[in-house]
Amino acid sequence: MPDAVDTSGLDIQLSEQLRALRDHLVEAFPLLEVLGFRGELTLLVTQGDLVELVRFCRDDSDVSCEYLMDLSAVHWPGGEFSDQTHETTGWPTATSQREGRIEVDYLLYSVTHNHRFRIRVDTPDDAPSLPSVSHLYTCANFMERETYDFFGVSFVGHPNLQRIHMPDGWEGHPQRKDYPLGGVEVQYKGATIPPPDERKY
Amino acid sequence: MSSSMRTPATAGAAWGDEGEVEVAGGTALEPRHEFTVAAGEWQNLPDAVDDDLMVINMGPQHPSTHGVLRMVLTLDGEQVVDNSPVIGYLHTGIEKNLEFRPWVHGVTFVTRMDYLSPLANELGYCLAVEKLLGITDEVPERASAIRVALNELQRIASHMVWLATSGLELGSTTAMIFGFRERETIIDILEYVTGLRMNHAYIRPGGLSQDVPDDFADRTRKVVAELRNKVDEFEILLSRNPIWLERNTGVGILTAEQCYDLGITGPMLRAAGVAHDLRKAQPHSGYEQYDFDVPIAQSADAYGRYLVRIAEMRESLKIVTQVLDTLPSGPVMVADAKIAWPAQLALGPDGLGNAKSYVSKIMGQSMEALIHHFKLVTEGFVVPPGQVYVPVESPRGELGYHVTSDGTNKPYRVHVRDPSFIAIGSLPVLTHGLLIADVIAAVASVDPVMGGVDR
Repeated sequence: MPDAVDTSGLDIQLSEQLRALRDHLVEAFPLLEVLGFRGELTLLVTQGDLVELVRFCRDDSDVSCEYLMDLSAVHWPGGEFSDQTHETTGWPTATSQREGRIEVDYLLYSVTHNHRFRIRVDTPDDAPSLPSVSHLYTCANFMERETYDFFGVSFVGHPNLQRIHMPDGWEGHPQRKDYPLGGVEVQYKGATIPPPDERKY
Repeated sequence: MSSSMRTPATAGAAWGDEGEVEVAGGTALEPRHEFTVAAGEWQNLPDAVDDDLMVINMGPQHPSTHGVLRMVLTLDGEQVVDNSPVIGYLHTGIEKNLEFRPWVHGVTFVTRMDYLSPLANELGYCLAVEKLLGITDEVPERASAIRVALNELQRIASHMVWLATSGLELGSTTAMIFGFRERETIIDILEYVTGLRMNHAYIRPGGLSQDVPDDFADRTRKVVAELRNKVDEFEILLSRNPIWLERNTGVGILTAEQCYDLGITGPMLRAAGVAHDLRKAQPHSGYEQYDFDVPIAQSADAYGRYLVRIAEMRESLKIVTQVLDTLPSGPVMVADAKIAWPAQLALGPDGLGNAKSYVSKIMGQSMEALIHHFKLVTEGFVVPPGQVYVPVESPRGELGYHVTSDGTNKPYRVHVRDPSFIAIGSLPVLTHGLLIADVIAAVASVDPVMGGVDR
């Protein structure tokens, strides 16, 4: 197998079944990046390959994922970040720059082979957009609407991409980290409690 | 509306054909307008103007929609041509709230999602946190066994509520009374163990908040023996009841392929003949030690789901009995003092609180213990960065916790794959072509919990 994906430590994390699956998928899609964490397999894919990879995972007999179990996202805003945000020693920590991105995760599961893995695709957080997979899995319809509602990711090709949990005219996408939270007014000498993300506990 | 609305919705084709439709009066209307929570959208809706189709709102305040589910039904006579579920009325932002509390506090939030199976939520969340921490194997056996026992009791309680509510919706008040009555006996045990009837916050990352009372096994055995007869009672009441058969047989059919496509798991999938159960397929918490079957049905309809749930209650009783027989002794929390909650709860003169001996130790003897207590209680523990997905078999199917940590004392992101949310997405397919009365039976057979749907 290509050395590029075979980082040390990764093989310890993955079971034999998932290692074989990884090799099979990397063979079909050589551009895949592979991660292993706590025994879970994650495949990093480019936007262009996403739909083809999901289709392959559904239709290929060695992968045959009948289920798209979960579709969700995580927002990593851009800017300067300390590599270790939780520190109590008072020593300065190293910081690094990063681009704002929303990573969208597709959890696939195969009943036949009883394996489970994650496909991850990144999209910039200023104009997040991904191709829809709702024509491959009907359940993606609701999941993509949820991800759109909370993160603003527009899924191109979705039949009706509208808000699902928040009211229709809502502004902003609440699960994004840059979504303003607002403080709670305390009726005591004009003091206010800061928004939850600025509180110290 | 045009006749293209009559195209049957199938599992493969999503319910949302594009294209503008001209209606009488010249107002252009989107063919599949998604109705949302906002008001006033009905004023512009021409109803039954140039055809016989009628749009009817079912819910959100409807006794048979299990909470605040709203279904916008397009009807041809009494037949459902189209159904678009509208949710969001119960959205409370639990996932967002979790991001601003220490990891331990998350339990008190997730337990309020699917309020009929709070312990399944707690279990899924705690297993996810434990996996992130890398302490899955260090959770004491006793804690895992108690988790299993309580979760199986919870499953029975949840199925009892399902029997009660769907019985009521189909006109069987007896089933309703019976169901809630039997559920109460289980709730009593849960209250005895955790202190609360629902929303227990009993399972914690690393173990349990406290050990079970001494006579937990005896009390539970009594209830289990009683419940065996009660499940039989339900069978006598409903299984060959002509009305029950008439209302449920052949209603709301979802084949296995449709279930896969729609993401449906749990009893609905098993009623379609697939013996898939996460407790068998990917066992956690020591489920592999217990001997139980995965009941299935072949009819894939509402009656099949009823049979599966009844049989599942019997299997759960089997598991509970085995857990009680083999309940290991020992601690109920991981040994790692950097994770385990420092204090054990004890009953004092003013109610449940930190044990008196513990308080006198941190206040009078050990400054280090006090500092440790203070740090752990106010800040919580730090979880290494990473992302895990942990599924558990809840009464409604696969309940998945997709948890991301950025290496701090709070979750960076928690996403819950709630089986009810996915099941609501299947309603357009499930209810297509049914009569209105059958819609009620079909939705009841899904057993959605809106607290879990909207989160």
